[in-house]
Amino acid sequence: MNVEIAELTRRFGRTQAVAGVTLELGPGVFGLLGPNGAGKTSLLRMMATVVPPSSGRIRLLGRDPGGYGPRRQIRRRLGYVPQNLGFYPRFTVVEFVEYFALLKEMPAARVSRAVATAVERVGLGDKATAKLRTLSGGMLRRVGIAQAIVNEPDLLLLDEPTAGLDPEQRVAFRALLRDLGQQATVVVSTHLVEDVGAACGRVALMDQGRIAFDGTPDELTARGEGTGAAGDAPLERGYSAVLAQVRS
Amino acid sequence: MTGRLLRLELRNNVVPWLLPLVAGLFWLVTYRTSMAYPPLWNVRAMTMQNSSLAVFVPTVVGAAAWLGSREGRHGIAELVTGSARPRWHRQLAAWAATTCWSIVAYLGCVAVLYVATAREGAWGGPLWWPAVVGAASLPAFSALGFAAGALRPSRFTPPLVAVAAFLALEISAQFIHGDHSRWQISPVVSNLWSIGPDAGIATFYPYLPDLPIAQLLFLAGLTAALLGLLGLPAGAGGAGLRRSAAVLTVAGVLSTGAAIGLAGTARLDPHGLIAIPALHDAADDLPVGFTPACAEAALPVCVHPAYRRYLPALVDGLRPVLAELAGLPGAPVRIEQVAAEYEHEGGNDVSIRRSGDSVSGSPPVFNVLLPTRPSSDEIRATLGRDIVQHLTGGGRGAGAAQQAVTDALAHTGDLTPGSPAARFAALPAAERRAWLTAHLPALRSGQLTLADLP
Repeated sequence: MNVEIAELTRRFGRTQAVAGVTLELGPGVFGLLGPNGAGKTSLLRMMATVVPPSSGRIRLLGRDPGGYGPRRQIRRRLGYVPQNLGFYPRFTVVEFVEYFALLKEMPAARVSRAVATAVERVGLGDKATAKLRTLSGGMLRRVGIAQAIVNEPDLLLLDEPTAGLDPEQRVAFRALLRDLGQQATVVVSTHLVEDVGAACGRVALMDQGRIAFDGTPDELTARGEGTGAAGDAPLERGYSAVLAQVRS
Repeated sequence: MTGRLLRLELRNNVVPWLLPLVAGLFWLVTYRTSMAYPPLWNVRAMTMQNSSLAVFVPTVVGAAAWLGSREGRHGIAELVTGSARPRWHRQLAAWAATTCWSIVAYLGCVAVLYVATAREGAWGGPLWWPAVVGAASLPAFSALGFAAGALRPSRFTPPLVAVAAFLALEISAQFIHGDHSRWQISPVVSNLWSIGPDAGIATFYPYLPDLPIAQLLFLAGLTAALLGLLGLPAGAGGAGLRRSAAVLTVAGVLSTGAAIGLAGTARLDPHGLIAIPALHDAADDLPVGFTPACAEAALPVCVHPAYRRYLPALVDGLRPVLAELAGLPGAPVRIEQVAAEYEHEGGNDVSIRRSGDSVSGSPPVFNVLLPTRPSSDEIRATLGRDIVQHLTGGGRGAGAAQQAVTDALAHTGDLTPGSPAARFAALPAAERRAWLTAHLPALRSGQLTLADLP
């Protein structure tokens, strides 16, 4: 298992962002759904080793991120796209991705080729030498994804990765996710249930810091059948039905 | 790997964009000021050290603070926090790139000034210590700016910290009181602050490296301490790395403290520079060998070759006086420039006078100290009169006859018509010379009165 989480909690002052989550994830694409404030981003940040948990147990890629040495080893094999993705506007696409390849301590001999591959995979080959300040929001999002996959991570964490992408790019991105999920554990936090339906083999729905549902997209769809829950698509109705059930 | 990260930072550094501004300010503040002095390595180099940091420090501090606050300003902190490389490493790479560009820019400006000075035919070689101290200031101030930016990542931090560093640098020198002031550790100080760049320094005697060594110790310590501080927080890296940062910080603080302590033991050297006993090398007290530059003005007039440019004014100013005196009994056979001697008189007061006696050797050589900016009239009024007084016994406490002959020979101003001095000056030159030849020893010893004058 690449991710082993047991009774994980995280508090920010008086706010309980994550309240006892237990998960085990192997290779594949895992969708994390939930309303705003459900705790998806906090869970992802703990998995990205950016913030430590308040309590509970977390093992990533077979290591405990609590210690500096193991955490550093995890980070070498980790890809992360945070919800609010910043950029250095003076860097070019290639320079930005190379910068993160170096921060991930990739072997020097592999960097140039890995950067070129990552940039091509997100469809920015023709913009490789463009300054980031000249790119559109969707292109910047793809640069963020490129930096996350440059090290061919075993654990890829994506927080709202398709925000700002046009429909064509989203289709391409879902294909990329499926491809990456062949080898790695890909966790995608999103509001867009169609992304989950198209790309994820497994999905969890979070509400108020807890996992309210954990199963396949088809199982989530089935939960909405015949309930009269709100939603335009079957998966959305499943989503609404689970939330309604939890809150009742 | 680190080299590659540094190359990336060098390519995307903000300092190259500031180079035109820096070059313009350097020209305005430093180059013009330095080049206004005669082509003497000492004054030009010391002026450069004094003024160039006022240009570079705010720029470098601002640029470094901009880089230091980069992760916070661009909202990228979370992304880089999740990367394997320790924060301290990536901070050091960004700081090193800023510092490299700053030093390259600084050395480029110094090279322009030094090449211009060399092309003007300045004697000797460039003074490197002022340039080294200036260059060594940049890593320290870059670290200061970077640390400020990293700790307070805001777009307001760079301008604020740049202005603060500029003021601190300029104000630091104002606290200097006396030759043992610890504030002399400020990198803008090249010699005793109250003297400033002085033409008499570091020509006859070598430039003392005592204060520059203490300043380098201070700047290296400051750099180490500030960079070490960046590596101390928990998020900076692993335990081993943070221990290294702690050692670096402590070493930096100790080095800084030692340097400040050394500056407190400084004293004004007789040759005008700051000597620090613990760092002083006695070999630096030996005079620098040279072949004097001479010209003929009835007598040979010789100066240190560094002051060759002053020779025409010197000869022009002394020629009327020397024409009167050459060959008279007791008259010097040669006029020679000697080194200045500096003495601290308490507080910021310093006396600067000729080293040794006014006359030395046999046959006698008259030793002179050149004025700061010699002109023919000033030389005639000061050095010319000194030479005449030496022969006539004029000056303070002299008799009326001595004073009258001195006034007549010195050619320094209007003489009152009908006065003894005017009468003596009006004599035909041959008659005046004959009288002087016959009566100069008696005049000098004060045996003559006004009635004895022709």
